[in-house]
Amino acid sequence: MTAAAIPYTPPLKEIRFVLDHLAGMAEVAALPGFEDASPDMVDSILGEAAKIAENILAPLNRIGDVQGANLGADGIARTAEGWGPAWQALVEGGWNGLPFDPTRGGMGLPNLLNTAVQEMWHSANMAFALCPMLTQGAVNAVQLYGSDALKDIYLPKMISGEWTGTMNITEPQAGSDLAATRSRAVPNGDHYLVGGQKIFITYGDHDLTENIVHLVLARLPDAPPGVKGISLFVVPKFLVNPDGSLGARNQVKCVSLEHKLGIHGSPTAVLSFGDEGGATGFLVGEPNRGLEYMFTMMNHARLNVAMQGLSIAERAYQQALAYARDRVQGKPLGWTEGQSKGIVNHPDVRRLLMGMKARIEAMRGILYTAAAAVDVAHHHADEAARGRAALLVDLLTPIAKGWCTETGQQLASDGVQVHGGMGFIEETGAAQHLRDARITTIYEGTTAIQANDLINRKILRDGGATANGLLDEIAALGGELSGHADEALRVTGAELVAAVHEAKQAVAWVLATAKQDPRLPAAASVTLLELMGVVAGGWQLARAAKVAVERLAEGDGDTAFLSAKPLTARFYATHVLPKAAALRATVVNGSASVMALSEEQLFGAA
Amino acid sequence: MPILILADHDNATLKPATAHAVSAAAKLGSDIHLLVAGRNAAPVAEQAAKLAGVAKVLLADDAAYEHALAEPVAALLVSIASGYSHVLAAATSVGKNVLPRVAALLDVAMISDITAVVSADTFERPIYAGNAIATVQSSDPVKVVTVRTTAFEAAAAANSAPVESVAAVADPALSSFVSAELSKSERPELTAARIVISGGRGMQSGDNFHLLEVIADKLGAAVGASRAAVDAGFVPNDYQVGQTGKIVAPELYVAVGISGAIQHLAGMKDSKVIVAINKDEEAPIFQVADYGLVADLFKALPELQQAV
Amino acid sequence: MKVLVPVKRVVDYNVKVRVKADGSGVETANVKMSMNPFDEIAVEEAVRLKEAGTATEIVVVSVGPTQAQETLRTALAMGADRAILVQTDVTTEPLAVAKVLKALVEKEAPGLVILGKQAIDDDCNQTGQMLAALLGWGQGTFASKVVAADGKVAVTREIDGGLETVELKLPAVVTADLRLNEPRYASLPNIMKAKKKPLETVTPDALGVDVTPRLKTLKVTEPAKRQAGIKVPDVATLVDKLKSEARVI
Ligand SMILES: Cc1cc2nc3c(=O)[nH]c(=O)nc-3n(C[C@H](O)[C@H](O)[C@H](O)COP(=O)(O)OP(=O)(O)OC[C@H]3O[C@@H](n4cnc5c(N)ncnc54)[C@H](O)[C@@H]3O)c2cc1C
Ligand SMILES: Cc1cc2nc3c(=O)[nH]c(=O)nc-3n(C[C@H](O)[C@H](O)[C@H](O)COP(=O)(O)OP(=O)(O)OC[C@H]3O[C@@H](n4cnc5c(N)ncnc54)[C@H](O)[C@@H]3O)c2cc1C
Ligand SMILES: Cc1cc2nc3c(=O)[nH]c(=O)nc-3n(C[C@H](O)[C@H](O)[C@H](O)COP(=O)(O)OP(=O)(O)OC[C@H]3O[C@@H](n4cnc5c(N)ncnc54)[C@H](O)[C@@H]3O)c2cc1C
Repeated sequence: MTAAAIPYTPPLKEIRFVLDHLAGMAEVAALPGFEDASPDMVDSILGEAAKIAENILAPLNRIGDVQGANLGADGIARTAEGWGPAWQALVEGGWNGLPFDPTRGGMGLPNLLNTAVQEMWHSANMAFALCPMLTQGAVNAVQLYGSDALKDIYLPKMISGEWTGTMNITEPQAGSDLAATRSRAVPNGDHYLVGGQKIFITYGDHDLTENIVHLVLARLPDAPPGVKGISLFVVPKFLVNPDGSLGARNQVKCVSLEHKLGIHGSPTAVLSFGDEGGATGFLVGEPNRGLEYMFTMMNHARLNVAMQGLSIAERAYQQALAYARDRVQGKPLGWTEGQSKGIVNHPDVRRLLMGMKARIEAMRGILYTAAAAVDVAHHHADEAARGRAALLVDLLTPIAKGWCTETGQQLASDGVQVHGGMGFIEETGAAQHLRDARITTIYEGTTAIQANDLINRKILRDGGATANGLLDEIAALGGELSGHADEALRVTGAELVAAVHEAKQAVAWVLATAKQDPRLPAAASVTLLELMGVVAGGWQLARAAKVAVERLAEGDGDTAFLSAKPLTARFYATHVLPKAAALRATVVNGSASVMALSEEQLFGAA
Repeated sequence: MPILILADHDNATLKPATAHAVSAAAKLGSDIHLLVAGRNAAPVAEQAAKLAGVAKVLLADDAAYEHALAEPVAALLVSIASGYSHVLAAATSVGKNVLPRVAALLDVAMISDITAVVSADTFERPIYAGNAIATVQSSDPVKVVTVRTTAFEAAAAANSAPVESVAAVADPALSSFVSAELSKSERPELTAARIVISGGRGMQSGDNFHLLEVIADKLGAAVGASRAAVDAGFVPNDYQVGQTGKIVAPELYVAVGISGAIQHLAGMKDSKVIVAINKDEEAPIFQVADYGLVADLFKALPELQQAV
Repeated sequence: MKVLVPVKRVVDYNVKVRVKADGSGVETANVKMSMNPFDEIAVEEAVRLKEAGTATEIVVVSVGPTQAQETLRTALAMGADRAILVQTDVTTEPLAVAKVLKALVEKEAPGLVILGKQAIDDDCNQTGQMLAALLGWGQGTFASKVVAADGKVAVTREIDGGLETVELKLPAVVTADLRLNEPRYASLPNIMKAKKKPLETVTPDALGVDVTPRLKTLKVTEPAKRQAGIKVPDVATLVDKLKSEARVI
């Protein structure tokens, strides 16, 4: 049946507020090279991107879900109806090149602005938006580490979107553990012969473009074992002639497409490399440094997947809100004449919706702050400033990826709940968001892998200095607000101070116990990540609330919008921040119990 | 001073819209003169003379007026406008094309698409696609106004006003008529149709939709359906009106054998006039219907076909 | 041939406007504003004429507040060459806009002016016709097809009963209807280039035009709510009501 598309309205006002007041768009625009990112330019770009999200991508979301991607008898993956023209619209619009080098066809605009555009595209159609996201990631890797020859051949067409890029990491035996990577690459003159099988490759094959540029992890014959022996290769689907035209089909075969719980529109391919001797591949950078390079791509991708958590939650929220206004079920408690009778006025439905709204704004604050820090880390004139920003990005990346995706899932589920029985019915569309959200905590490193990264590399490695530094900064803001004349700010500030206190205890415990038994912090890692996410979210909402109250005092007339900020922060402060104490208790008191049962007991060996 | 109305016609018949404009003019309380500008349009002038409230019909018969081109018709109106307090026309494609040109030539503001006459110089008109109603007052010597026909009754044909010839004025010869493609016979598209007739599960079969189609063709209506009717295979998917189908807001929506589930209502509740035909008097569709008929559709539809 | 395209900044068509409590108008503070959709179509048509080699330069004009610059930038990003803002904070009526445009036409000497057939805020549907009148030019309103060649333009118009084609001598005024074309999305490079295209600001005074409104808006109110419906006893009564009361058939 022809399901009417569920509309998506890009939240431009929220985005603009966060860009300007939390992420510091003006400071980013002042970085060398970003002169073009003036406020009116940012408005024009966001406005046009919003139109594309709303009018082109969003209507294809459901079609992609229903039709999925299918492998043709000719071995070529076919995307759903309308996806080809939609991709063409992005190419013609030059959207893929937004953050890239102008000398290679990019627009040279900030990552922060790109992030805002990506938010809208993921909200509109996450399965589709994966394709530009991965292509941008592949461009990053080639741009940073590829030889000039590789850059000349591949970058212009990848930046324009005429060719797409993929990330070929996962193998049947190597998922979270990349040390188990087996694909091999043998030197052969000016190139390598690549062989092996990769699984779960997003947009590993499709019919949107004439060529696909695979970035593949593989081992050289003499490579040391483990992660120190992995190299990165460019393996194009079609070889490229010296004049830039397409040559022979390379030995990359799409063996099958997965049938998935969600993101049906995104082809997830099993790729077989070098079935007849070896696929032609070109080394990126130096041998055996592939994982390091791939991490560049992955850090970009992790923040983007974190964005998917926000995006899908925003979409689910818009839909739930619209339904809650229309659906009537009994007279809401305390209903007064003139008020709508929609379930939106049932206090519990409000609780669900406020929970969604507050967490969405918290996520947007975290992600845009991180995105701005990426720009500062790459472009600031001062080395110390770059270094500080890089540390913030490093710390926020696992927190953002872990917390925003777990939260995105929870909110997509809350969106279903607001719909009652209709939420469980596919035609309504709320269920698709929940199914689509489910992948986000898995790919680009599961939540557990993010938590390991947080503990091992971001906390233990520097003795907690960066984490505690950020927590101190948050506590200072909380302290300031707890003495504010505005009641909502006061409550927010006080709860923030209390939550930071809990987080610091948990961090201290991790530092103390890691030496005793590394399994203890590992058992607590995801809980600690959640705790850090809860606090970081509160931090951003408190910042937003503070700015809003200041602007109101300065006479900014947008009262309805601005006065909602402290009230939303207070909701979060009283509904989410108090969880910090429970999370701390689990970290500190609960870790030992995680591994307490023996494996035999777990399996109930009786 | 009298009021001048530009008649809308095709040289053979007067368009019903003009009779509505005459009623609006009647509320202004002066003599009404109707201008028929056309070619061999005497029959139109005769019909115009019959409209109640018309004091005089002016007939300007000239080849230049055959296709109601804006430039010559506006020139004609301007040449005689000085004796009038108001120049009116129905807000049809002709009125909307010609009157602003007249207003500009007279150097007066224009008031489009009025839905009520408050006084001789004050009118109500919808703005923002009907989401607000503005009351506007004009102090110009001549008020140039188009009239939303649905807001005023049609003047009755109960009169015999004199018909007077007026001379054509020089054609500015800026434009010429090339061709016209009128009255498509196919049924209109659902979302664009002025009238939509939808059937539900109560239709019992796809064959029975024929009962709706014959009425639709008489009224120039599109045919829609509930999801239940689509799911049962009576009609194709693209007929579905509702939350997960098409959203329509025609002037008239007729729901036949449709219970009125909220998912269906979501797709048609903004229709201007809603008619429901259902044998169950408790059916929720009646809560949104302007006119409800509790009846067996198999009896009601043939009667309806006869009556329209 | 130079083409002039006037564009208006209006409340976005997706926004459900709310009437102000004091009846003085509708809420426009903090409401999303966009280019009038019919004007977007007009810009698109001009750009297509340029791409086809018929038009040589596209000048876009907006009469309105400083913020209308955004609307002009949008038109520049779609492919217009330069822009003129006739800056005024007065809520201009179509006649005043037509007079401003006439003054600009006299300066710019375009061969064709393409406007939207109506603005979706005041829903007037007057400006194009008025401009044609003031210039003494022919008018092709509600256009669904425009073919310009040999000093003439053939305009297919959407009229009540179907379509009609008229031929106008150039220079002429055309107003765009919805089916004329589907406006393009501005590309990112063009959005960036638009910033560097010339945008000139003038005032109605400098053009010698008085834009003071002629009409007085006494009040703005909510439309009447749907009346409670009735049950009719039979088909005859139903048809009678539809004809005489609802007047929809
Ligand atoms: C739809 C989809 C698209 C994908 N796209 C791509 C792509 O484009 N390119 C690509 O290379 N890959 C892609 N992947 C693969 C994805 O990155 C992996 O599935 C993911 O990294 C997890 O690996 P795995 O599936 O092998 O799970 P496993 O590693 O087997 O994990 C199973 C469970 O064990 C846990 N676990 C494993 N190791 C540890 C540890 N050390 N500490 C704690 N817990 C641990 C995990 O958290 C998880 O809960 C995609 C996967 C899917 C489903
Ligand atoms: C797969 C499936 C199987 C089912 N099987 C059966 C069956 O066998 N028999 C049967 O009779 N029904 C069945 N149902 C219906 C099911 O019981 C209802 O869907 C459920 O009771 C919720 O009602 P609703 O869908 O109308 O949601 P609504 O009542 O509209 O609820 C929407 C939202 O509003 C909230 N809400 C509503 N009222 C209040 C209130 N007063 N205070 C606070 N919040 C409120 C709800 O909590 C929910 O979040 C089934 C539904 C599904 C989806
Ligand atoms: C997720 C979801 C999405 C949906 N989307 C839509 C949608 O987009 N559009 C839509 O229409 N529905 C939609 N529905 C379905 C909707 O809930 C109803 O099931 C559907 O509208 C019922 O169609 P109906 O009124 O034709 O059938 P019924 O509810 O079965 O009503 C039939 C009516 O015909 C009357 N009738 C029967 N025989 C006669 C007769 N001889 N003479 C006169 N009257 C007679 C009966 O009294 C009854 O009122 C959706 C449902 C879900 C769960």
